[in-house]
Amino acid sequence: MNNSSRKQYIPAYILAGLVMLAASYSLPRWLPGDFVTAMYSNSHVTLTENQELELRAYYTQRPNFGRYLLDFFTFNWGYSYAFLTPISGLIAGALPWTLLLMGTAHVLSMVFGFIAGVEAAWRRGAMIEKAGVGSMTILQGVPELGIGVILLLFFAFHLEWFPAAGGETAYVNYTTGRWVLDLSHHLALPLVTLFLAYFPGNFLLARGSMVMVLGQQYLETARAKGLPPIRIRYAHAARNALLPMVTRFGLRIAFMVTGVLVVETIYAYPGLGTLLFNAIAMRDLPLIQAIVLFSSLVVLFVNLCLEFVYGLLDPRVKHAS
Amino acid sequence: MPFLFADQVAEIRIGDGKGDWGYPNPFGHYPRGPGYIRMSWVFDTLIWKDQKGYVPALAESWSYDPDRMAFTFHLNPNAKWHDDQPVTAEDVTFTIDFFKKHPYHWINVEDVRLASAQGTHKVVVYLSKPYSPFLSDIGGTMPIMPRHIWQSVENPGTYNDSGAFIGSGPYRFMDFNKTQGTYLYEAFDDYYQGRPKADRIIYIRAGQPLVSLSNGQVDLSNIRSDMAEHLRQKGLVIIKDERGWNKKLMINHKKTPFSDKRFRHALAFAIDQQEIIDKSHRGFGAPASYGLLSIDHDMYNPDTPTYAYNPEKARSLMEAMGYQKDLDGFYQKDGNPLKIELLSSNITVAGQSIVDRDGEVIKKQLEQVGIRIDLVNLEQATTDSKVRNWDFDLVVSGHGGISGDARILNEMISSKYGEGSVNSARYDSSPKLNRLLEEQMMEMDNDRRKTIVQSIQKVYAEELPAISLYYPDSLSAYNPDKGIVWFYTKGGISKGIPIPQNKMALIR
Repeated sequence: MNNSSRKQYIPAYILAGLVMLAASYSLPRWLPGDFVTAMYSNSHVTLTENQELELRAYYTQRPNFGRYLLDFFTFNWGYSYAFLTPISGLIAGALPWTLLLMGTAHVLSMVFGFIAGVEAAWRRGAMIEKAGVGSMTILQGVPELGIGVILLLFFAFHLEWFPAAGGETAYVNYTTGRWVLDLSHHLALPLVTLFLAYFPGNFLLARGSMVMVLGQQYLETARAKGLPPIRIRYAHAARNALLPMVTRFGLRIAFMVTGVLVVETIYAYPGLGTLLFNAIAMRDLPLIQAIVLFSSLVVLFVNLCLEFVYGLLDPRVKHAS
Repeated sequence: MPFLFADQVAEIRIGDGKGDWGYPNPFGHYPRGPGYIRMSWVFDTLIWKDQKGYVPALAESWSYDPDRMAFTFHLNPNAKWHDDQPVTAEDVTFTIDFFKKHPYHWINVEDVRLASAQGTHKVVVYLSKPYSPFLSDIGGTMPIMPRHIWQSVENPGTYNDSGAFIGSGPYRFMDFNKTQGTYLYEAFDDYYQGRPKADRIIYIRAGQPLVSLSNGQVDLSNIRSDMAEHLRQKGLVIIKDERGWNKKLMINHKKTPFSDKRFRHALAFAIDQQEIIDKSHRGFGAPASYGLLSIDHDMYNPDTPTYAYNPEKARSLMEAMGYQKDLDGFYQKDGNPLKIELLSSNITVAGQSIVDRDGEVIKKQLEQVGIRIDLVNLEQATTDSKVRNWDFDLVVSGHGGISGDARILNEMISSKYGEGSVNSARYDSSPKLNRLLEEQMMEMDNDRRKTIVQSIQKVYAEELPAISLYYPDSLSAYNPDKGIVWFYTKGGISKGIPIPQNKMALIR
């Protein structure tokens, strides 16, 4: 496939984006429950029938699809019912935390998982490789929830080394250096939890791909040429094992919001997952729509970018056509 | 800072499982207990409650004249708004007029005919008809708003600049961080009851109160009963609330077979309250009175009918209604098997989502009697919406407010008062019950009202449009090193909020 044929994908992506917009527009129709019931139907509220009707009328107003599209592309994403503030601001506030936590966990687990996988495959059959594959297979079976709770109990509750809640200490005046330390202190446990959850998959995938690559004849040629082992391993073999890792990275982005929700909840860490979770509980429809749409469009965008990255990584993809 | 006290503390950090409860003013806070509490630091009411009962707040004294159907309040002349303007009688009359025009969904001022300022610090509130919960629901709950700010506000729902948070309470609102779920309040130096004991109140979102309390990240939080012993050993003080919250089985009494009172009685006899507490809550709770109000309530009726666990009686009631067991041992009538859907969801209590197995235990109990149950677990907002639309058979649900004013009976029983509530039985089939409910709202004499309220519990338990199951233990823990003694308020804060964050704990 050359550049121009890859560009043929763009209309397909645009079409997919429009389908997502339409799906998000019709989302409120599919979700049982409504904001007025979720918000006002408790024992302390004293709504008269008329007041409730007024509220219901107000909260079921919806723009037509044209208006919805226009608003979306002009970043006029409306107001959250519950927060009474612009949705774009809420997403902008939560996104950096999600990126910090999930982005760091993904990158670290991918880099270390890849290196460890490559090294394990290189030592295929050795004790260390067998132990690595065994332990990683077990670790991959442990859900994030399990890892999170164990780390929390041990490091936050028993040893009291790390805080159990929040992304930073609220309302203190720190110098920049101290603030970064405070951020890291709060980030440590959620990050390690996600790292331990993502690492085994990356390790096993990298090792598996590398084992396949190591059987190829061109590596024999490389060895015969007398190239240093590290060069054979990374420049010749591992490069070809990288492709599935990149695909995995792209797919994982799809879990950006929901994937961190468990960890965000355990550690009361701020982010899009918590924002979405609370929005669903309150049936804050405009906010739900915006987060779902935003995160699905991010997935689309990342995958589009990866189409180009594949070409850079593997010339065979570029010249396939 | 005008005075320095030896026991002054820099800050109190309060943990909360959810984090956000809206902006702390009448039009911004979520209409739930924790939302109201966040507002109560900033806005004072005419009167307030401490451990024992009503205490003065903006009103130094108050009285009721039954002939004129009027409450008179004498305001504290030292009271000031956070922008240094004095609090006057005009602010009180303005507040009532404003809430008539722009309803505050936490109180109802429909029965107030007129509020009149007589001088700078005297207000007379005339009722259009006797309204017995007035002190609880309006006097002790209605936040007084500064007239000089809100008189020019046309759309209070969207008014959100700094003026919207000028109150006369002990704390000034400084920040609400929606991403972090944190709130910051700072002591109001010129508070009329003296500068509060803590310089700052901070709320943080903390999903694991056991850990956050243990490692000192928070000073006060509600906790689960099984955490109490560990925290006590760590030096924290554990406080326990009166029984102000009940788990309840909602029954769709509008459809058969639930419209038959005998069937509802059979359900009650088939359910073992204590077993639910033991199996689902490790024994941390108390069986509920079938009359809704708990033994801790001043107007509790000890002669309320009870339905002690009796599967035999349940079966005989079923058989009297024409049900017969099929080959599997489950009831059927005229060849139609009886199958009931039981909805269950994780319920949020004081901001903490509580996971339990109540649904499983009740299913097992009812099936033992021969009633086949289809247990469906749903997320709470979906369940609420089904209850709202009468699209259910049985629902395991729950609500608070039952230690507060007995008006809660009206809201939880009658559709006239509880139409919008997903916890209300909305049961209007008993003329006697309807009459008693109306009477208690009009009876201004406390003793006579108590007699009526006791009769309501009796008739309600007899009619049994919903079955109260148990009162879960409700606990909080705090760090005593801060020098603040937190307490649960008798009858709950304001209208009955079972949260110990009472601002009186910080007043000298």
